[in-house]
Amino acid sequence: MFDSHFAYIVNNPISSIAVFVTVLPLTLTIVRKAFFDQSLRLLFCYLVAKLIIDLAMLHFASHRTNNILFYNLSIPLFYALLGGMFYFKFSERSRRRFLIASIIGLFFFCAWDVVNSNEDLHNMREHRVVLYSKTVEGVLMILLILLYFYEIIKSLQIPNLLTFPFFWVCSGLLLYYSSLIFIAPVIHYAYTWNNTMDLGITEVIPSIFEIICALLFSVGIYHYSPKDYAKQ
Amino acid sequence: MQSSEELKWALLIASLAMLAMAFCMIAFVMYYQKRRFEEEKKISDIEKNYNRLLLDTALNSEETERRRIAQDLHDDIGTMLSLTKLSLNQLSKLVANSGDEKEESIMKKSQSLVEETILHVRRITRDLVPTTLERFGLMEAIEEFIHKLEEDNNLIIAFQSNTEEFPRQGQKLELTLYRIMQELVNNAIKHASCTKIDIVLEIDEEMIGLRVTDNGVGFDPEKIKESNLAGLGLLGIESRLAIVNGTVQYEQPAKGGSSAIARIPVNPASGNKPEPLHPFRRERVNI
Repeated sequence: MFDSHFAYIVNNPISSIAVFVTVLPLTLTIVRKAFFDQSLRLLFCYLVAKLIIDLAMLHFASHRTNNILFYNLSIPLFYALLGGMFYFKFSERSRRRFLIASIIGLFFFCAWDVVNSNEDLHNMREHRVVLYSKTVEGVLMILLILLYFYEIIKSLQIPNLLTFPFFWVCSGLLLYYSSLIFIAPVIHYAYTWNNTMDLGITEVIPSIFEIICALLFSVGIYHYSPKDYAKQ
Repeated sequence: MQSSEELKWALLIASLAMLAMAFCMIAFVMYYQKRRFEEEKKISDIEKNYNRLLLDTALNSEETERRRIAQDLHDDIGTMLSLTKLSLNQLSKLVANSGDEKEESIMKKSQSLVEETILHVRRITRDLVPTTLERFGLMEAIEEFIHKLEEDNNLIIAFQSNTEEFPRQGQKLELTLYRIMQELVNNAIKHASCTKIDIVLEIDEEMIGLRVTDNGVGFDPEKIKESNLAGLGLLGIESRLAIVNGTVQYEQPAKGGSSAIARIPVNPASGNKPEPLHPFRRERVNI
């Protein structure tokens, strides 16, 4: 029943680990009751959504069915959930407004990008990865993280960053999106049904950093303490 | 084919460069945050020390001023009163010889008023400068203070200590404990409407504890803190304690009333026996 899935996992170990490693921060969130914190609650939603989408993609990939639609749809959803975390962290109202505007903006931009990148939207077999949206998502996420880092340096409210859960979350996201930002536009050309472009090791870099990102999320959630959540 | 290879390398290098930047950014945030915290801590320590120094100076000035006033009272007014008493004694003999009873009664009244004033001046000077504390130590000073209070008020004041011979401490520490005890007892009399006050002085190897408990109306320590402490002179107690690294804790005993416990680290008097201070010597006091 799962032969094709196992075969796919064996052939693509790194990208498969990137799928299943999500279970680790997810479990830790439940064990440490991290969803009491509003930002970490959104992270929990992101992890659940990511696991479901990744498993669906793995299933379709193992059955040699085009799964790019999931990838494209996940871009505005993931940005809304991950970016939404910063809504509860930013103290300045203007930054929150910018964040909401960017979430709405990316949603429409992504919709346009899907239409722009696919000549025939009904042809699911030939469905292609969006050309710009992932890069724009990466740039926006890095911008949000840098703004947040600037805020924590300026406010000096966190005495020890190493025990502050959201710092680990931000670090994981910064590394993941940094690894992806140059590769994302190339994926549009590489991930086609009749692919002739081989990206080599570059192709697995985002997956490696997806795993690192999940591990850093886990470290952050591990440091979470329900009794301190009000202070964070 | 060659362009594909070049693209792969370009992508790899660009991604690695971006990752290196991300790593550097994370490291920078951690380092900068740590450094800023250290700097803030240093500034806060400097401010704390400065405030402590200011407080110390203010209290020293207060003690010097008390001593100066006591000295003036003793040297000037005290001497003048003594001379007035002598003159009145001489005058009294003359009046007695004249045999006028009315004059004699006025004379006696004047003599008794002068004697009473001398006693008042003596009491004020002793209150201003606790000479017993400097000469004999904390226990004797507290006992003397209690004795005087019991004379003037309808109060029962109990004093106990866990040691018979309370070892002499540094001058500043003894004076701090004495003034705190004075403040707490005065507070109990003024604000608590109490009939009984217990004073307990305890010492162990590291700490000296002073507990003042009364059976009065009591107060909520949290509310007092919120309402700025000043009214009860509790701020003064905290300020004095801050100089000697002491702490104070207020409690509400189950049986009613209130209790204050001041704790100060032990600071024995230095090997050289401190020269007994005379309250009326003109010199600057360095407590």
